[in-house]
Amino acid sequence: MERAGVGIIEADLVMDAGPCERDIRSAARGNGIRFQNVSMSFGGNRGGHPTLAVDDFSLEVAENEFLVIVGPSGCGKSTLLAMAGGLTQPTTGRLSLGDEPIVKPGPDKAIVFQTFSLFPWMTVIDNIEFGMRLNGVSPAERQRRIDYYLPIIGLKGFEDHYPKQLSGGMQQRVAIARCLVLRPRLLLMDEPFAALDAQNRTVMQEELVRVWSAHRPTVIFVTHSVEEAVFLADRIVVMTRRPGRIKDVIDVRDTTGAQHWRAAPLDQVMRRSDFQDLRGRVWDLIRDEIVIE
Amino acid sequence: MNRRTTYLRVGQLGFGAVSLGVILFAWWQVTANGIVSEFLLPAPAAVFEAAQRLSAGYLGSSLTAHLVASLSVVLSGYIAAVLIGVPLGILMAWSRPVDIAMGPLVAILRPIPPPAWIPLAILWFGIDLPGKTFIVFVSSITPCLINAYVAIKEVPANLINAARMLGAGNASLLFRVAIPAGLPMIANGLRIALGSAWATVVAAELVVATAGFGFVIMSGYRNIESDIMAAGMIAVAVTGFIMNLLFREVEKRVIPWAEHE
Repeated sequence: MERAGVGIIEADLVMDAGPCERDIRSAARGNGIRFQNVSMSFGGNRGGHPTLAVDDFSLEVAENEFLVIVGPSGCGKSTLLAMAGGLTQPTTGRLSLGDEPIVKPGPDKAIVFQTFSLFPWMTVIDNIEFGMRLNGVSPAERQRRIDYYLPIIGLKGFEDHYPKQLSGGMQQRVAIARCLVLRPRLLLMDEPFAALDAQNRTVMQEELVRVWSAHRPTVIFVTHSVEEAVFLADRIVVMTRRPGRIKDVIDVRDTTGAQHWRAAPLDQVMRRSDFQDLRGRVWDLIRDEIVIE
Repeated sequence: MNRRTTYLRVGQLGFGAVSLGVILFAWWQVTANGIVSEFLLPAPAAVFEAAQRLSAGYLGSSLTAHLVASLSVVLSGYIAAVLIGVPLGILMAWSRPVDIAMGPLVAILRPIPPPAWIPLAILWFGIDLPGKTFIVFVSSITPCLINAYVAIKEVPANLINAARMLGAGNASLLFRVAIPAGLPMIANGLRIALGSAWATVVAAELVVATAGFGFVIMSGYRNIESDIMAAGMIAVAVTGFIMNLLFREVEKRVIPWAEHE
Protein backbone atom coordinates (compact mmCIF):
# COMPACT_ATOMS: atom_id res chain seq x y z
CA MET A 1 0.00 0.00 0.00
CA GLU A 2 1.06 3.60 -0.41
CA ARG A 3 2.85 5.45 2.35
CA ALA A 4 0.64 8.49 2.51
CA GLY A 5 1.09 10.63 5.57
CA VAL A 6 4.56 9.36 6.41
CA GLY A 7 6.60 12.12 8.04
CA ILE A 8 9.99 13.29 6.87
CA ILE A 9 12.03 11.54 9.55
CA GLU A 10 10.01 8.42 9.20
CA ALA A 11 10.33 8.28 5.40
CA ASP A 12 14.05 8.47 5.93
CA LEU A 13 14.00 5.65 8.43
CA VAL A 14 11.83 3.20 6.52
CA MET A 15 13.92 3.35 3.37
CA ASP A 16 15.42 -0.12 3.52
CA ALA A 17 12.95 -1.69 5.85
CA GLY A 18 12.49 -5.45 6.10
CA PRO A 19 9.48 -7.31 4.73
CA CYS A 20 7.38 -6.75 7.82
CA GLU A 21 7.62 -3.02 7.51
CA ARG A 22 4.96 -3.15 4.85
CA ASP A 23 2.70 -5.28 7.00
CA ILE A 24 2.92 -3.06 10.01
CA ARG A 25 2.27 0.08 7.98
CA SER A 26 -0.23 -1.52 5.63
CA ALA A 27 -3.04 0.75 6.73
CA ALA A 28 -0.92 3.84 7.19
CA ARG A 29 -3.89 5.97 6.30
CA GLY A 30 -6.42 4.57 8.71
CA ASN A 31 -4.76 4.57 12.10
CA GLY A 32 -7.78 5.78 13.96
CA ILE A 33 -9.37 3.49 16.52
CA ARG A 34 -13.07 2.96 17.03
CA PHE A 35 -14.84 1.57 20.09
CA GLN A 36 -18.37 0.49 19.19
CA ASN A 37 -20.71 -0.17 22.13
CA VAL A 38 -17.95 -1.94 24.00
CA SER A 39 -18.85 -3.63 27.29
CA MET A 40 -16.76 -5.85 29.49
CA SER A 41 -17.80 -7.94 32.46
CA PHE A 42 -15.64 -10.15 34.64
CA GLY A 43 -16.32 -13.27 36.64
CA GLY A 44 -19.74 -14.78 37.09
CA ASN A 45 -18.58 -18.12 35.71
CA ARG A 46 -18.78 -19.78 39.13
CA GLY A 47 -22.33 -18.88 39.91
CA GLY A 48 -21.54 -15.41 41.26
CA HIS A 49 -22.76 -12.22 39.65
CA PRO A 50 -20.51 -10.95 36.89
CA THR A 51 -19.03 -7.52 37.50
CA LEU A 52 -19.62 -5.01 34.75
CA ALA A 53 -16.33 -3.13 34.35
CA VAL A 54 -17.03 -1.17 31.16
CA ASP A 55 -20.54 -0.33 30.04
CA ASP A 56 -21.44 0.57 26.46
CA PHE A 57 -18.33 2.56 25.65
CA SER A 58 -18.38 4.16 22.20
CA LEU A 59 -15.66 6.48 20.97
CA GLU A 60 -13.65 7.27 17.90
CA VAL A 61 -10.04 8.30 18.26
CA ALA A 62 -8.66 10.08 15.20
CA GLU A 63 -5.42 9.17 13.53
CA ASN A 64 -2.47 10.97 15.18
CA GLU A 65 -4.64 11.97 18.12
CA PHE A 66 -3.32 11.93 21.68
CA LEU A 67 -6.24 10.71 23.76
CA VAL A 68 -6.04 10.51 27.53
CA ILE A 69 -8.50 8.55 29.65
CA VAL A 70 -8.91 9.57 33.28
CA GLY A 71 -11.26 8.33 35.94
CA PRO A 72 -11.46 6.94 39.44
CA SER A 73 -9.89 3.60 40.37
CA GLY A 74 -11.78 0.65 38.97
CA CYS A 75 -13.50 2.63 36.21
CA GLY A 76 -12.22 0.20 33.59
CA LYS A 77 -9.61 2.45 31.97
CA SER A 78 -6.93 -0.25 31.95
CA THR A 79 -9.48 -2.73 30.64
CA LEU A 80 -10.22 -0.41 27.72
CA LEU A 81 -6.52 -0.24 26.98
CA ALA A 82 -6.08 -4.02 27.13
CA MET A 83 -8.96 -4.39 24.69
CA ALA A 84 -7.48 -1.79 22.34
CA GLY A 85 -4.22 -3.73 22.46
CA GLY A 86 -6.01 -6.98 21.63
CA LEU A 87 -4.91 -8.59 24.90
CA THR A 88 -8.53 -9.14 25.93
CA GLN A 89 -11.75 -9.24 23.98
CA PRO A 90 -14.84 -7.26 24.99
CA THR A 91 -17.86 -9.18 26.24
CA THR A 92 -20.00 -7.28 23.74
CA GLY A 93 -19.28 -4.62 21.16
CA ARG A 94 -16.47 -4.21 18.67
CA LEU A 95 -13.12 -2.46 18.36
CA SER A 96 -11.35 -1.66 15.15
CA LEU A 97 -8.09 -0.06 14.14
CA GLY A 98 -8.43 1.53 10.75
CA ASP A 99 -10.67 -0.89 8.85
CA GLU A 100 -9.54 -3.99 10.71
CA PRO A 101 -11.19 -5.45 13.78
CA ILE A 102 -8.87 -5.82 16.78
CA VAL A 103 -8.71 -9.51 17.57
CA LYS A 104 -5.19 -10.15 18.85
CA PRO A 105 -2.16 -8.29 20.13
CA GLY A 106 0.60 -7.34 17.73
CA PRO A 107 3.37 -4.88 16.96
CA ASP A 108 1.01 -2.44 15.25
CA LYS A 109 -0.63 -1.89 18.65
CA ALA A 110 2.30 -1.27 20.98
CA ILE A 111 1.71 -1.13 24.72
CA VAL A 112 3.72 0.55 27.45
CA PHE A 113 2.84 -1.10 30.74
CA GLN A 114 2.79 0.49 34.18
CA THR A 115 5.14 -2.23 35.43
CA PHE A 116 7.80 -1.64 32.78
CA SER A 117 7.73 -5.34 31.82
CA LEU A 118 11.19 -5.42 30.28
CA PHE A 119 12.78 -8.82 29.78
CA PRO A 120 15.26 -9.11 32.66
CA TRP A 121 17.59 -11.48 30.79
CA MET A 122 18.02 -9.08 27.89
CA THR A 123 20.28 -6.05 27.83
CA VAL A 124 18.93 -2.63 26.90
CA ILE A 125 19.82 -3.21 23.25
CA ASP A 126 18.33 -6.71 23.19
CA ASN A 127 15.12 -5.47 24.78
CA ILE A 128 14.75 -2.73 22.17
CA GLU A 129 15.69 -5.08 19.34
CA PHE A 130 13.53 -8.03 20.37
CA GLY A 131 10.30 -6.86 18.74
CA MET A 132 12.10 -5.97 15.52
CA ARG A 133 13.73 -9.41 15.41
CA LEU A 134 10.36 -11.08 15.93
CA ASN A 135 9.00 -9.14 12.99
CA GLY A 136 11.86 -9.81 10.61
CA VAL A 137 13.24 -6.28 10.42
CA SER A 138 16.61 -6.48 8.66
CA PRO A 139 19.77 -6.12 10.79
CA ALA A 140 20.78 -2.91 9.03
CA GLU A 141 17.38 -1.37 9.62
CA ARG A 142 17.37 -2.53 13.24
CA GLN A 143 20.69 -0.80 13.76
CA ARG A 144 19.41 2.41 12.15
CA ARG A 145 16.39 2.59 14.39
CA ILE A 146 18.43 1.83 17.49
CA ASP A 147 20.94 4.52 16.55
CA TYR A 148 18.04 6.90 16.12
CA TYR A 149 16.23 6.19 19.40
CA LEU A 150 19.04 5.42 21.82
CA PRO A 151 20.23 9.03 22.10
CA ILE A 152 16.64 10.29 22.15
CA ILE A 153 15.82 8.21 25.21
CA GLY A 154 19.13 9.18 26.80
CA LEU A 155 20.48 5.67 27.15
CA LYS A 156 23.59 5.91 25.04
CA GLY A 157 26.36 4.20 26.99
CA PHE A 158 23.86 1.87 28.70
CA GLU A 159 23.46 -0.51 25.75
CA ASP A 160 24.76 -3.55 27.59
CA HIS A 161 23.13 -2.90 30.95
CA TYR A 162 20.48 -5.25 32.25
CA PRO A 163 17.14 -3.77 33.36
CA LYS A 164 17.91 -4.40 37.04
CA GLN A 165 20.90 -2.07 36.69
CA LEU A 166 18.70 0.84 35.53
CA SER A 167 16.52 3.31 37.43
CA GLY A 168 12.75 3.15 37.03
CA GLY A 169 12.76 6.12 34.68
CA MET A 170 15.43 4.59 32.47
CA GLN A 171 13.58 1.26 32.37
CA GLN A 172 10.40 2.97 31.26
CA ARG A 173 12.30 4.84 28.54
CA VAL A 174 13.57 1.49 27.24
CA ALA A 175 10.00 0.18 27.32
CA ILE A 176 8.84 3.17 25.29
CA ALA A 177 11.72 2.81 22.83
CA ARG A 178 11.03 -0.87 22.21
CA CYS A 179 7.51 0.16 21.19
CA LEU A 180 8.50 3.14 19.03
CA VAL A 181 11.11 1.19 17.02
CA LEU A 182 8.24 -0.97 15.77
CA ARG A 183 6.59 2.10 14.20
CA PRO A 184 3.25 1.18 15.75
CA ARG A 185 0.02 2.53 14.33
CA LEU A 186 -1.30 2.78 17.84
CA LEU A 187 0.62 3.47 21.03
CA LEU A 188 -1.17 2.43 24.21
CA MET A 189 0.16 3.64 27.54
CA ASP A 190 -1.21 2.27 30.79
CA GLU A 191 -0.26 4.68 33.59
CA PRO A 192 3.30 4.53 32.29
CA PHE A 193 4.72 7.04 34.75
CA ALA A 194 2.77 6.06 37.86
CA ALA A 195 5.74 4.18 39.32
CA LEU A 196 8.11 7.14 38.93
CA ASP A 197 8.83 9.93 41.40
CA ALA A 198 7.50 13.43 40.72
CA GLN A 199 10.65 14.86 39.11
CA ASN A 200 11.20 11.87 36.85
CA ARG A 201 7.58 11.95 35.94
CA THR A 202 7.73 15.54 34.73
CA VAL A 203 10.86 14.88 32.68
CA MET A 204 9.31 11.78 31.16
CA GLN A 205 6.11 13.62 30.21
CA GLU A 206 8.12 16.24 28.36
CA GLU A 207 10.30 13.63 26.68
CA LEU A 208 7.27 11.64 25.63
CA VAL A 209 5.89 14.70 23.87
CA ARG A 210 9.20 15.19 22.09
CA VAL A 211 9.55 11.58 20.96
CA TRP A 212 5.89 11.24 20.06
CA SER A 213 5.86 14.45 17.99
CA ALA A 214 8.39 13.00 15.54
CA HIS A 215 6.02 10.28 14.28
CA ARG A 216 2.71 10.93 15.96
CA PRO A 217 1.22 7.46 16.25
CA THR A 218 -2.32 7.47 17.60
CA VAL A 219 -2.03 7.40 21.39
CA ILE A 220 -4.37 6.24 24.10
CA PHE A 221 -2.89 7.13 27.43
CA VAL A 222 -4.46 6.08 30.73
CA THR A 223 -3.64 7.96 33.92
CA HIS A 224 -4.79 8.87 37.40
CA SER A 225 -3.16 12.27 37.16
CA VAL A 226 -5.40 15.13 36.02
CA GLU A 227 -2.40 17.38 35.52
CA GLU A 228 -0.75 14.80 33.25
CA ALA A 229 -3.97 14.45 31.28
CA VAL A 230 -4.46 18.17 30.76
CA PHE A 231 -0.82 18.68 29.78
CA LEU A 232 -0.57 15.82 27.26
CA ALA A 233 -4.00 15.30 25.75
CA ASP A 234 -5.65 16.45 22.59
CA ARG A 235 -8.85 15.16 24.12
CA ILE A 236 -9.58 13.89 27.61
CA VAL A 237 -12.15 11.19 28.27
CA VAL A 238 -13.46 11.32 31.84
CA MET A 239 -14.91 8.02 33.01
CA THR A 240 -17.59 7.40 35.61
CA ARG A 241 -16.98 5.02 38.49
CA ARG A 242 -17.71 1.34 37.87
CA PRO A 243 -19.32 0.34 35.65
CA GLY A 244 -17.18 2.64 33.52
CA ARG A 245 -19.07 4.87 31.12
CA ILE A 246 -18.01 8.04 29.36
CA LYS A 247 -18.89 10.92 31.63
CA ASP A 248 -17.50 13.69 29.48
CA VAL A 249 -15.10 14.27 26.62
CA ILE A 250 -13.07 17.48 26.82
CA ASP A 251 -11.22 18.82 23.83
CA VAL A 252 -8.08 20.45 25.18
CA ARG A 253 -7.43 22.02 21.78
CA ASP A 254 -10.48 24.23 22.33
CA THR A 255 -8.45 25.89 25.05
CA THR A 256 -4.96 25.74 23.61
CA GLY A 257 -5.80 26.53 20.00
CA ALA A 258 -3.61 25.16 17.22
CA GLN A 259 -0.43 25.67 19.23
CA HIS A 260 -0.72 22.96 21.89
CA TRP A 261 0.87 23.81 25.23
CA ARG A 262 2.54 20.42 25.62
CA ALA A 263 5.34 21.72 23.36
CA ALA A 264 6.43 23.97 26.24
CA PRO A 265 7.97 22.82 29.54
CA LEU A 266 5.43 21.66 32.11
CA ASP A 267 6.39 24.18 34.82
CA GLN A 268 5.73 27.04 32.40
CA VAL A 269 2.44 25.60 31.27
CA MET A 270 1.33 25.11 34.85
CA ARG A 271 1.54 28.84 35.46
CA ARG A 272 -1.04 29.52 32.77
CA SER A 273 -4.45 30.35 34.17
CA ASP A 274 -6.27 28.57 31.32
CA PHE A 275 -4.31 25.41 32.17
CA GLN A 276 -5.32 25.69 35.80
CA ASP A 277 -8.95 26.36 34.88
CA LEU A 278 -9.11 23.29 32.70
CA ARG A 279 -7.39 21.23 35.36
CA GLY A 280 -10.01 22.36 37.85
CA ARG A 281 -12.81 21.51 35.47
CA VAL A 282 -11.55 17.97 34.87
CA TRP A 283 -10.87 17.44 38.54
CA ASP A 284 -14.44 18.51 39.44
CA LEU A 285 -15.77 15.93 37.01
CA ILE A 286 -13.70 13.16 38.58
CA ARG A 287 -14.32 14.21 42.18
CA ASP A 288 -18.03 13.42 41.81
CA GLU A 289 -17.11 9.87 40.84
CA ILE A 290 -14.82 9.08 43.73
CA VAL A 291 -16.48 7.07 46.45
CA ILE A 292 -14.77 6.67 49.78
CA GLU A 293 -14.95 3.00 50.65
CA MET B 1 31.71 -5.21 46.19
CA ASN B 2 32.01 -2.09 48.36
CA ARG B 3 33.94 -1.80 51.61
CA ARG B 4 30.96 -2.23 53.84
CA THR B 5 29.96 -5.58 52.33
CA THR B 6 33.61 -6.66 52.37
CA TYR B 7 33.73 -6.04 56.14
CA LEU B 8 30.46 -7.88 56.49
CA ARG B 9 31.77 -10.92 54.62
CA VAL B 10 35.01 -11.02 56.59
CA GLY B 11 32.97 -10.77 59.79
CA GLN B 12 30.70 -13.61 58.74
CA LEU B 13 33.66 -15.80 57.83
CA GLY B 14 35.23 -15.00 61.20
CA PHE B 15 32.13 -16.07 63.10
CA GLY B 16 31.93 -19.24 61.00
CA ALA B 17 35.56 -20.07 61.78
CA VAL B 18 34.97 -19.51 65.50
CA SER B 19 31.98 -21.86 65.69
CA LEU B 20 33.85 -24.51 63.67
CA GLY B 21 36.88 -24.09 65.96
CA VAL B 22 34.76 -24.49 69.08
CA ILE B 23 33.27 -27.76 67.78
CA LEU B 24 36.71 -29.12 66.81
CA PHE B 25 38.10 -28.16 70.21
CA ALA B 26 35.19 -29.84 72.02
CA TRP B 27 35.62 -32.94 69.86
CA TRP B 28 39.33 -33.08 70.68
CA GLN B 29 38.74 -32.55 74.42
CA VAL B 30 35.99 -35.16 74.65
CA THR B 31 38.13 -37.82 72.97
CA ALA B 32 41.46 -36.88 74.62
CA ASN B 33 39.99 -37.08 78.14
CA GLY B 34 38.26 -40.38 77.48
CA ILE B 35 34.79 -38.94 78.13
CA VAL B 36 33.59 -40.80 75.04
CA SER B 37 35.26 -44.02 73.98
CA GLU B 38 37.45 -44.14 70.86
CA PHE B 39 35.19 -46.91 69.63
CA LEU B 40 32.20 -44.56 69.36
CA LEU B 41 33.95 -41.32 68.50
CA PRO B 42 37.44 -41.40 67.00
CA ALA B 43 39.85 -38.62 67.92
CA PRO B 44 40.51 -35.91 65.32
CA ALA B 45 44.05 -37.21 64.93
CA ALA B 46 42.76 -40.74 64.26
CA VAL B 47 40.38 -39.43 61.61
CA PHE B 48 43.22 -37.51 60.04
CA GLU B 49 45.27 -40.73 59.96
CA ALA B 50 42.33 -42.63 58.46
CA ALA B 51 42.01 -39.95 55.79
CA GLN B 52 45.66 -40.50 54.94
CA ARG B 53 45.05 -44.25 54.77
CA LEU B 54 42.10 -43.58 52.47
CA SER B 55 44.06 -41.38 50.11
CA ALA B 56 46.83 -43.94 49.94
CA GLY B 57 44.27 -46.53 48.88
CA TYR B 58 41.61 -48.35 50.85
CA LEU B 59 40.13 -51.78 50.07
CA GLY B 60 41.58 -52.01 46.62
CA SER B 61 40.85 -48.47 45.45
CA SER B 62 42.67 -45.18 45.83
CA LEU B 63 40.79 -42.12 47.08
CA THR B 64 40.54 -40.92 43.49
CA ALA B 65 39.09 -44.27 42.42
CA HIS B 66 36.43 -44.08 45.16
CA LEU B 67 35.66 -40.50 44.13
CA VAL B 68 35.43 -41.48 40.46
CA ALA B 69 33.19 -44.42 41.35
CA SER B 70 30.74 -42.20 43.20
CA LEU B 71 30.93 -39.27 40.77
CA SER B 72 30.40 -41.37 37.64
CA VAL B 73 27.18 -42.73 39.12
CA VAL B 74 26.06 -39.26 40.18
CA LEU B 75 26.80 -37.62 36.86
CA SER B 76 25.24 -40.30 34.64
CA GLY B 77 22.05 -40.40 36.72
CA TYR B 78 21.94 -36.65 37.16
CA ILE B 79 22.49 -35.79 33.51
CA ALA B 80 19.78 -38.25 32.45
CA ALA B 81 17.43 -36.68 35.03
CA VAL B 82 18.15 -33.15 33.75
CA LEU B 83 17.74 -34.14 30.10
CA ILE B 84 14.38 -35.79 30.75
CA GLY B 85 13.05 -33.88 33.79
CA VAL B 86 13.52 -30.31 32.61
CA PRO B 87 11.95 -30.69 29.15
CA LEU B 88 9.12 -32.77 30.61
CA GLY B 89 8.43 -30.17 33.29
CA ILE B 90 8.44 -27.39 30.71
CA LEU B 91 6.18 -29.35 28.39
CA MET B 92 3.72 -30.15 31.19
CA ALA B 93 3.56 -26.49 32.17
CA TRP B 94 3.12 -25.31 28.60
CA SER B 95 0.72 -27.91 27.21
CA ARG B 96 -2.49 -28.78 28.98
CA PRO B 97 -2.85 -32.23 27.35
CA VAL B 98 0.66 -33.23 28.46
CA ASP B 99 -0.11 -31.92 31.95
CA ILE B 100 -3.29 -33.96 32.12
CA ALA B 101 -1.56 -37.09 30.78
CA MET B 102 1.55 -36.93 32.96
CA GLY B 103 0.30 -35.08 36.05
CA PRO B 104 -1.21 -38.07 37.92
CA LEU B 105 1.84 -40.24 37.26
CA VAL B 106 4.17 -37.57 38.64
CA ALA B 107 1.87 -36.99 41.61
CA ILE B 108 1.96 -40.68 42.55
CA LEU B 109 5.68 -41.26 42.02
CA ARG B 110 6.89 -38.04 43.63
CA PRO B 111 6.23 -38.87 47.30
CA ILE B 112 8.29 -42.10 47.15
CA PRO B 113 11.61 -41.32 48.87
CA PRO B 114 14.49 -42.19 46.49
CA PRO B 115 16.13 -44.77 48.82
CA ALA B 116 12.90 -46.79 48.69
CA TRP B 117 13.75 -47.48 45.06
CA ILE B 118 17.09 -49.12 45.91
CA PRO B 119 15.92 -52.75 46.23
CA LEU B 120 13.79 -52.60 43.09
CA ALA B 121 16.56 -50.86 41.14
CA ILE B 122 19.02 -53.60 42.10
CA LEU B 123 16.49 -56.22 41.09
CA TRP B 124 15.97 -54.54 37.73
CA PHE B 125 19.44 -53.28 36.85
CA GLY B 126 21.88 -55.18 39.10
CA ILE B 127 24.38 -53.86 41.61
CA ASP B 128 26.70 -52.19 39.13
CA LEU B 129 26.57 -48.75 37.56
CA PRO B 130 23.11 -49.07 35.91
CA GLY B 131 21.28 -49.91 39.15
CA LYS B 132 22.74 -47.04 41.13
CA THR B 133 22.44 -44.69 38.16
CA PHE B 134 18.73 -45.42 38.09
CA ILE B 135 18.35 -44.56 41.77
CA VAL B 136 20.23 -41.29 41.30
CA PHE B 137 18.06 -40.59 38.28
CA VAL B 138 14.88 -41.15 40.27
CA SER B 139 16.05 -38.91 43.10
CA SER B 140 17.18 -36.01 40.93
CA ILE B 141 14.45 -35.96 38.31
CA THR B 142 11.85 -34.72 40.79
CA PRO B 143 13.43 -31.33 41.59
CA CYS B 144 14.34 -30.89 37.91
CA LEU B 145 10.77 -31.54 36.80
CA ILE B 146 8.94 -29.70 39.57
CA ASN B 147 11.07 -26.56 39.33
CA ALA B 148 10.86 -26.46 35.53
CA TYR B 149 7.09 -26.86 35.78
CA VAL B 150 6.63 -24.14 38.37
CA ALA B 151 9.15 -21.85 36.61
CA ILE B 152 7.14 -21.91 33.39
CA LYS B 153 3.76 -21.73 35.14
CA GLU B 154 4.84 -18.67 37.07
CA VAL B 155 6.31 -16.62 34.25
CA PRO B 156 4.78 -13.19 34.98
CA ALA B 157 1.73 -12.49 32.82
CA ASN B 158 3.04 -9.02 31.99
CA LEU B 159 6.13 -10.51 30.30
CA ILE B 160 3.94 -12.82 28.24
CA ASN B 161 1.64 -9.93 27.33
CA ALA B 162 4.61 -7.73 26.44
CA ALA B 163 6.01 -10.43 24.16
CA ARG B 164 2.64 -11.03 22.50
CA MET B 165 2.32 -7.30 21.94
CA LEU B 166 5.77 -7.25 20.30
CA GLY B 167 4.61 -9.95 17.92
CA ALA B 168 5.79 -13.20 19.50
CA GLY B 169 4.09 -16.37 18.27
CA ASN B 170 3.66 -19.51 20.35
CA ALA B 171 7.15 -20.90 19.69
CA SER B 172 8.85 -17.57 20.42
CA LEU B 173 6.78 -17.19 23.58
CA LEU B 174 8.04 -20.53 24.86
CA PHE B 175 11.66 -20.52 23.72
CA ARG B 176 12.51 -16.84 23.80
CA VAL B 177 10.40 -15.65 26.71
CA ALA B 178 9.03 -18.34 29.05
CA ILE B 179 12.16 -20.50 29.23
CA PRO B 180 14.64 -17.64 29.71
CA ALA B 181 12.29 -16.08 32.27
CA GLY B 182 12.11 -19.38 34.15
CA LEU B 183 15.83 -20.09 33.97
CA PRO B 184 16.73 -18.91 37.51
CA MET B 185 14.13 -21.19 39.02
CA ILE B 186 15.10 -24.07 36.73
CA ALA B 187 18.73 -23.59 37.78
CA ASN B 188 17.60 -23.70 41.40
CA GLY B 189 15.99 -27.04 40.72
CA LEU B 190 19.15 -28.34 39.06
CA ARG B 191 21.17 -27.37 42.13
CA ILE B 192 18.74 -29.07 44.51
CA ALA B 193 18.78 -32.13 42.23
CA LEU B 194 22.56 -32.28 42.33
CA GLY B 195 22.53 -32.32 46.14
CA SER B 196 19.82 -34.94 46.11
CA ALA B 197 21.79 -37.05 43.60
CA TRP B 198 24.88 -36.91 45.80
CA ALA B 199 22.95 -37.89 48.92
CA THR B 200 21.30 -40.75 47.08
CA VAL B 201 24.45 -42.26 45.61
CA VAL B 202 25.98 -42.47 49.07
CA ALA B 203 22.83 -44.16 50.34
CA ALA B 204 22.90 -46.63 47.46
CA GLU B 205 26.58 -47.38 48.05
CA LEU B 206 25.85 -48.07 51.71
CA VAL B 207 23.57 -50.86 50.60
CA VAL B 208 25.50 -52.37 47.74
CA ALA B 209 28.81 -51.36 46.18
CA THR B 210 32.42 -52.37 45.65
CA ALA B 211 33.80 -48.83 45.54
CA GLY B 212 32.72 -45.28 46.31
CA PHE B 213 32.47 -43.16 49.45
CA GLY B 214 29.33 -44.89 50.68
CA PHE B 215 31.16 -48.20 50.33
CA VAL B 216 34.09 -46.74 52.35
CA ILE B 217 31.76 -45.67 55.16
CA MET B 218 30.01 -49.02 55.20
CA SER B 219 33.33 -50.90 55.17
CA GLY B 220 34.42 -48.84 58.14
CA TYR B 221 31.26 -49.99 59.88
CA ARG B 222 31.80 -53.67 58.99
CA ASN B 223 35.43 -53.57 60.18
CA ILE B 224 34.52 -51.57 63.28
CA GLU B 225 36.75 -48.67 62.24
CA SER B 226 34.91 -45.53 63.24
CA ASP B 227 37.82 -43.37 62.09
CA ILE B 228 37.36 -44.66 58.52
CA MET B 229 33.61 -44.00 58.77
CA ALA B 230 34.27 -40.42 59.85
CA ALA B 231 36.92 -39.89 57.16
CA GLY B 232 34.51 -41.23 54.52
CA MET B 233 31.80 -38.85 55.76
CA ILE B 234 34.17 -35.92 55.58
CA ALA B 235 35.10 -36.90 52.01
CA VAL B 236 31.37 -36.93 51.15
CA ALA B 237 30.89 -33.52 52.75
CA VAL B 238 33.88 -31.90 51.03
CA THR B 239 32.92 -33.28 47.62
CA GLY B 240 29.31 -32.14 48.03
CA PHE B 241 30.46 -28.71 49.16
CA ILE B 242 32.75 -28.31 46.15
CA MET B 243 30.06 -29.49 43.73
CA ASN B 244 27.65 -26.90 45.11
CA LEU B 245 30.29 -24.18 44.89
CA LEU B 246 31.11 -25.06 41.27
CA PHE B 247 27.43 -25.10 40.43
CA ARG B 248 26.90 -21.62 41.84
CA GLU B 249 29.87 -20.29 39.89
CA VAL B 250 28.53 -21.72 36.63
CA GLU B 251 25.08 -20.34 37.49
CA LYS B 252 26.45 -16.83 37.97
CA ARG B 253 28.13 -16.96 34.57
CA VAL B 254 25.23 -18.51 32.67
CA ILE B 255 22.50 -16.37 34.26
CA PRO B 256 24.28 -13.08 34.94
CA TRP B 257 21.06 -11.08 34.96
CA ALA B 258 19.40 -12.95 37.85
CA GLU B 259 19.59 -12.04 41.51
CA HIS B 260 22.20 -14.24 43.16
CA GLU B 261 22.67 -14.61 46.89
